[in-house]
Amino acid sequence: MKFELSDKFEAAKETWAARRARYADRLRPAKTLSGLPVKTVYTPEDLADSDLEEMPGAYPFTRGLHPDGYALTPWMQQMVFGYGTIEETRQKMEKMVAEGMEGYFGHKVFNTVYDIPCMYGIDADHPEAKGNLGQCGVHMSTGDDYDELIRGWDLETTNFSMITGDNCLPALALLAAAVERRGEPLHKLHGNSMNWYPRIAVQDIPSWEPKWGYALMIDLIKWAKDNAPAWNPANIFMYGLSEAGATPVQELAYGLSWGKSIIDAGLEAGLAPDDFIGRLSFQIGCTVNLFEEVAKFRAHRRMWAKICKEAGVTKPSNMHARVHVHTSGYVLTQQQLMNNNARITLQALAAVLGGVQSIHTCSYDEAVGVPTEESHRTALRTQQILMLESGVRDVADPLGGSYYVEKLTDEMEAAAWEIYEELEASGGYRRGIETGEIKRNIDNASYEMKKRINSGDLPVVGVNRYVSEQTENYEPFRIDEAIEDKARARLEAYRAKRDQAAVDEALEGVREACQALKDGTGPLMPALVEAARKGVTNGEMMVPMREAFGWYVSE
Amino acid sequence: MSQERIKVLLAKKKIDVHGRGTKLIARELRDAGMEVVYFRFGVVEEIAEAALQEDVDVVAVSIMTSGQMQVARELIPALKERGMTDVLVIMGGIIPEVDFEPLRELGVHRCFPPGLPGGVVADYIRENVGTATLA
Repeated sequence: MKFELSDKFEAAKETWAARRARYADRLRPAKTLSGLPVKTVYTPEDLADSDLEEMPGAYPFTRGLHPDGYALTPWMQQMVFGYGTIEETRQKMEKMVAEGMEGYFGHKVFNTVYDIPCMYGIDADHPEAKGNLGQCGVHMSTGDDYDELIRGWDLETTNFSMITGDNCLPALALLAAAVERRGEPLHKLHGNSMNWYPRIAVQDIPSWEPKWGYALMIDLIKWAKDNAPAWNPANIFMYGLSEAGATPVQELAYGLSWGKSIIDAGLEAGLAPDDFIGRLSFQIGCTVNLFEEVAKFRAHRRMWAKICKEAGVTKPSNMHARVHVHTSGYVLTQQQLMNNNARITLQALAAVLGGVQSIHTCSYDEAVGVPTEESHRTALRTQQILMLESGVRDVADPLGGSYYVEKLTDEMEAAAWEIYEELEASGGYRRGIETGEIKRNIDNASYEMKKRINSGDLPVVGVNRYVSEQTENYEPFRIDEAIEDKARARLEAYRAKRDQAAVDEALEGVREACQALKDGTGPLMPALVEAARKGVTNGEMMVPMREAFGWYVSE
Repeated sequence: MSQERIKVLLAKKKIDVHGRGTKLIARELRDAGMEVVYFRFGVVEEIAEAALQEDVDVVAVSIMTSGQMQVARELIPALKERGMTDVLVIMGGIIPEVDFEPLRELGVHRCFPPGLPGGVVADYIRENVGTATLA
């Protein structure tokens, strides 16, 4: 930005300096959560090196993906939900639609989370599923479950986001088979596969051996490209990084490196840049540090666009960093629960000012357990109040041009590139999974932050400030343990009506296809879809997959 | 007990996600001079078996995605069956406060909400280890 120091500005600065001279040296230097120094005042001088000649909707998209921000259609309200069997979750879907939860142009959006047994890939009758069935997500493992999931929804105007774990491929196969049973073509299918294998770098959960994890991801991406082109086949789970303890700058650096690792794997597998990169999307965390988060979202769009361009993407819309925000759960406190509503409002505001495409607002009681009907509705209403009452959606990139936010955007970008480039030079994200470097750095950041909270250096109201001895005795939402019997009964009934010989044959087909994928001679997804057609369940598909692709817990 | 390092089995279910709290408490208990064995279990029986083999003073179970009541219902009898009646059993994580008393009735000595300084847990362990029973 060109800026000539005028006499008028020089005079103003002198007055400013004189007025603060008495106390200026007593001011405690502030920092962002990422550790970047913050001044008390920013001026045009700070933007001397900034490129401000940008419009929203144009490369590199710092100011947003769309020319008029949210004016044409607001962000998608994608509340995470799912509990019990599909019967309970189906009722919840209908309730959320009735509450006004919607996506672009009034489309339906269902951000459905599986229970952890499904994510891990075990059915309801597995001994390790006990205690977790239908608890923090829906238990969906059979063809019947998926028929019920999509029953009656118009596929052209309904978006199914499937929050899966290692069962990502089986889940999409089961969904595809359900669409076929309805007699509809797969190209009508809209939604997302998470394809979160790279989260193994930070989350200590069992998953595929590193060398096969990416092969499975790419297998899904290729299948979706050829069969369900409107499907978003991979999501970059930056939320997993920040919830594990990454600072906002680390979240940017490692998240973009994660994205780059998918680009690299796709190109290595022979895909063309414009064939798949534009279908990648992001889920990002958001703390209550308003300006740092806004700057993070702005820097993120710009950095991703640059990475895409460098990778050979030519179509501008394929350079879009499409972002779903999940407000950080880590910042919520079990102490003085209602305070969390203030935090969630700030988080959602930061996401909106940051220009993201979709938001899940946590409920205030998620520090205790699964949200109640009321707390979940309040979280949705928080978005709707922002959308309809606050006026924040009227102007694209409303903080664009702010001396502070522009400067912080540049500084976060520079700090993130530094980490990103260092990681790329040493083999990138895939190598980072194997060396444990990413996890070590994030664990250390988490530990440093906890020490600051313990010492009171980082204030958390209700935890290290204004602490109350009074217990809250809050009664959270309860999912009756009887749901476990129900889930097992549904599974048994489903298995009883299958043609067992066809199931066995299809599973053999999956086993062979797993080997073919390992040998580089064929895909796996078609065999999984065929297995789904024959009635093979989520957990059953995972057995040969685990045998083939190993099982690895990184600690 | 005061002569030896207190040994803690910190158990988290294999399929439980988001391990930030668990890893932090592991580190904070180590800072407090304790030996921490981080253990991922499949079924609850494995916690008791690991506690026996590792000869720990404390069994701590970290919960993120529910299941605390089922764990407690099976864990306490499994420890008793192995004669581990003098082990201190604690739980922490995303557990509703209203479950603390029912969990105590099942034999869990103490539950902790998320986000506390690890020192609070360490102090509790030091004050109670060796004196608690699972009678």
